[in-house]
Amino acid sequence: MNNVIREMWMLGRNRASLAALVLLAVFAAAGVAIGLANVARDSAMIERMLAGQPAEEQAVAGFVEDAGYGAYYGFQPVWDPPSDLAFAALGNRDIAPAILRVRSLSLEAQLYENESANPELSLAGRFDLVFITIYIAPLVLIALLHDVWSGEREAGRLFMLSSLPGARRRLWAVRIAVRIAGVLAALLIPFAVGAILAGTALPRMLAFGGLIMLACLFWSVVILLVARRGASSVVNAATLASIWFALTLVVPAAANLAINASVPVPDGAELARENREFVHGAWDRPREQTMDAFLALYPQHAAGSALPPTFHYKWYFAFQHLGDLHVAEQSQAYRDGIAGRAAYARAAGWLLPPAGIAQAMTALAGTDVTAQLEFQQRIRAYHTRLREYYYDYLFSERPFDVSILANVPRFDPADDGDAGAD
Amino acid sequence: MQVTDFTLAVENLVVDRGNRRIVDGLSLSLAPGEIYALLGGNGAGKSTTLFAILGFLPFSSGTLTVCGHDPRTKPDAVRASVAYLPENVALYDHLTARENVEYFLKVADCPRSRADIEQAFESVSLAATAWDQRAGRFSKGMRQKTAIALALLRQTPLLLLDEPTSGLDPAASADFHGLLEALSARGVSILMVTHDLLGAADTADRIGLIAGGRIADEWRAQESGPRFDLNILHDGFAGVK
Repeated sequence: MNNVIREMWMLGRNRASLAALVLLAVFAAAGVAIGLANVARDSAMIERMLAGQPAEEQAVAGFVEDAGYGAYYGFQPVWDPPSDLAFAALGNRDIAPAILRVRSLSLEAQLYENESANPELSLAGRFDLVFITIYIAPLVLIALLHDVWSGEREAGRLFMLSSLPGARRRLWAVRIAVRIAGVLAALLIPFAVGAILAGTALPRMLAFGGLIMLACLFWSVVILLVARRGASSVVNAATLASIWFALTLVVPAAANLAINASVPVPDGAELARENREFVHGAWDRPREQTMDAFLALYPQHAAGSALPPTFHYKWYFAFQHLGDLHVAEQSQAYRDGIAGRAAYARAAGWLLPPAGIAQAMTALAGTDVTAQLEFQQRIRAYHTRLREYYYDYLFSERPFDVSILANVPRFDPADDGDAGAD
Repeated sequence: MQVTDFTLAVENLVVDRGNRRIVDGLSLSLAPGEIYALLGGNGAGKSTTLFAILGFLPFSSGTLTVCGHDPRTKPDAVRASVAYLPENVALYDHLTARENVEYFLKVADCPRSRADIEQAFESVSLAATAWDQRAGRFSKGMRQKTAIALALLRQTPLLLLDEPTSGLDPAASADFHGLLEALSARGVSILMVTHDLLGAADTADRIGLIAGGRIADEWRAQESGPRFDLNILHDGFAGVK
């Protein structure tokens, strides 16, 4: 213990090292604060959306005259509540919509409609704890450890220190451990405070903390391997800066390019345009053609499918759904492509530990691509339940009752999304 | 005397670095309180011998013990018996003399009281105004005094000095030799490797001339008259250089 206190005292007397640690702690605290603010904003938006829903439904109930109107104007909220670790790993939450209002119209066009944040702000990237751990903390570790031996040698103290009994055990091991512990403390203390404020479950808190420690351990091993070679501090620093640059920026970017090239993903905008054109084109197509195609999917509604000479929502919602089916293959290819790229990225993570740990962090926080796709799957499942609920009323010609609106299926964010998804 | 009576006993020491044999059959021994000056030219193997004694370098053959401990098998026991002063004593510039000594003592697991440290500073004539001054402002002589104070506090039976007087002015050099004599009087054995022939002749009990990795010649101080014949020393030193 005395050795630890001695090296802590020594670290505290070194202004540059102390400044680096304080700066890291400030960055980590800022990252946690930004994450908590993001999560609080999302939670507040979800609450506001849910709180306003009854009033909106009441307003809709005041003027709709049949189930078709209800389905058309009846927006329903769907949302992906932030997990208890989302504050630490924002992942895709800042670019993918986590809060939507959907109705029984064609879904594909609705999936990506959201209140986007300023896209220029998104360009800057996420400043969360994952960013601090993966990009900033290694630089502080490099600053603290690259000259652990070479600095003493260059200052002329190495042999005098090494000539002391037990130097390896009492000096070098403790000095290295204290410096690594300083970096860990700068990351873990803000994280722990954030986790307590976010009500993170203890096992998940420990698991995420373990990933932070793993990232620091990886870099510590790399740095000490370089530092042990006996080169000068300048050479060590340059070597480690190059390794950091390669492992965190160049190789992941190259891997990303390679993955994107090898796993093609259909153009999302093209998909949306195709869907929109099909839906709009339905107004010019014979109504029978639309209904035949729809009834092939829903033969149970054949009995009530006769159309009046004028507009009817049966036909309108039929071509809306056919619009989704028209691009279903492309949509599936789009999702498969995204999932495929994510799978390759996970595999690359085994070769690029910093990238792999960052992925593990967002996966644990439920903010990665997989979580985003699962959320979309839950939306699809819910959308199916919602429109089929209205189909029952539209095709049965039952007299309209406002209770139809009140009894509409509700989205459950915990629903696994398997049932009924198309 | 038996080998175990010597603070340092080296017999036929051979040290290789890569393909080069640096020390080749060196033998020397130091009795308690004895000052031994190892003179030699650059590359003669002086510093390598010190590093072998400290256990920093392995030796190929021969025997080497410090207070009966072999540095190969008991490096910590050897280092607990040795205080080492490199040619340029470097301290932590951002710490004071007192903080430096306290730090090194803690690393050596050899805690001493504040009073002990101040007494050691007084023993080495380090001015009291320097005790709480940052070492970054110290002259080489002041840094050496601080390191000698550290050696005093550690109370090791053997002191290894690597070129201790290089860069010191004559007055500081004389002060330093006075310190060594005081340490010797306390029973501390001192092995110093040096180019400083006059300083060695002034202080050492024995002077060994190292050449080709072994002791080529050795002289013992006379009890009466001039301690050493400087002409013989000079001729010997000039010969190996």
